[in-house]
Amino acid sequence: MTDNQNPISPHLQIYRWHISSLLSITHRITGVVNLLALILMFVWILTFSFNENNYELFLLTTNSFFGKFILIGFTWSMSFHILSGIRHLAWDIGYGFEIKTAKISGILVILSSLVTTIIFWLLARGLI
Amino acid sequence: MKETRKWILHRVSATILAPLFAWFYFSLISLSEKNYQEAINFFENPLFKTLTIALFFVGFFHAKISLNEIFDDYIHDKKIKDVANILSLILSIVVPVIIFILLVYKI
Repeated sequence: MTDNQNPISPHLQIYRWHISSLLSITHRITGVVNLLALILMFVWILTFSFNENNYELFLLTTNSFFGKFILIGFTWSMSFHILSGIRHLAWDIGYGFEIKTAKISGILVILSSLVTTIIFWLLARGLI
Repeated sequence: MKETRKWILHRVSATILAPLFAWFYFSLISLSEKNYQEAINFFENPLFKTLTIALFFVGFFHAKISLNEIFDDYIHDKKIKDVANILSLILSIVVPVIIFILLVYKI
């Protein structure tokens, strides 16, 4: 590239926020967070496959306040990314492009990601 | 990789990855209340073992394509972008291969 003065894309600091842009950047951020979660899962398998004591550390960490906070955060990140991904796939096959529909589906993604997180967590912990 | 093929593979991997990721994460949260032996039993199950290996291969493949897209948008120095792409490629190969070796030969 010869001209380094070209505008940088996307212009996150310039455009006025809309639900569509908010969801777009959140989809990317949650994707990166999910990758971090996957790397941590890798570390988890790696450590406990070598030493049983490391599993005790995993139990201590995940059952601490901070551990639960992180795991619940990962749950929301995963829920959001999957639901927002389904919205993207609908667009890919040509549905939901109208502005009103895109706004409604965006709000639905946000709300249902929160509900999914709660239900997912309660089910996984055997609370319901 | 051609952009169209990349686009299609990104969507295909996403469709496979979503249920795998949700299933594995659900299992991990359930295991966070159980002991070491139950975790070993989980990974000794041939179906769970296969699905876990698949999760890491598909997950890192999907992440690799996504990271390329993010690097294209935000990194404007070609050299840095090339290094970032190579690092993400190495990560997307090394991690799933280690998981494969661990689950097939170690656990």
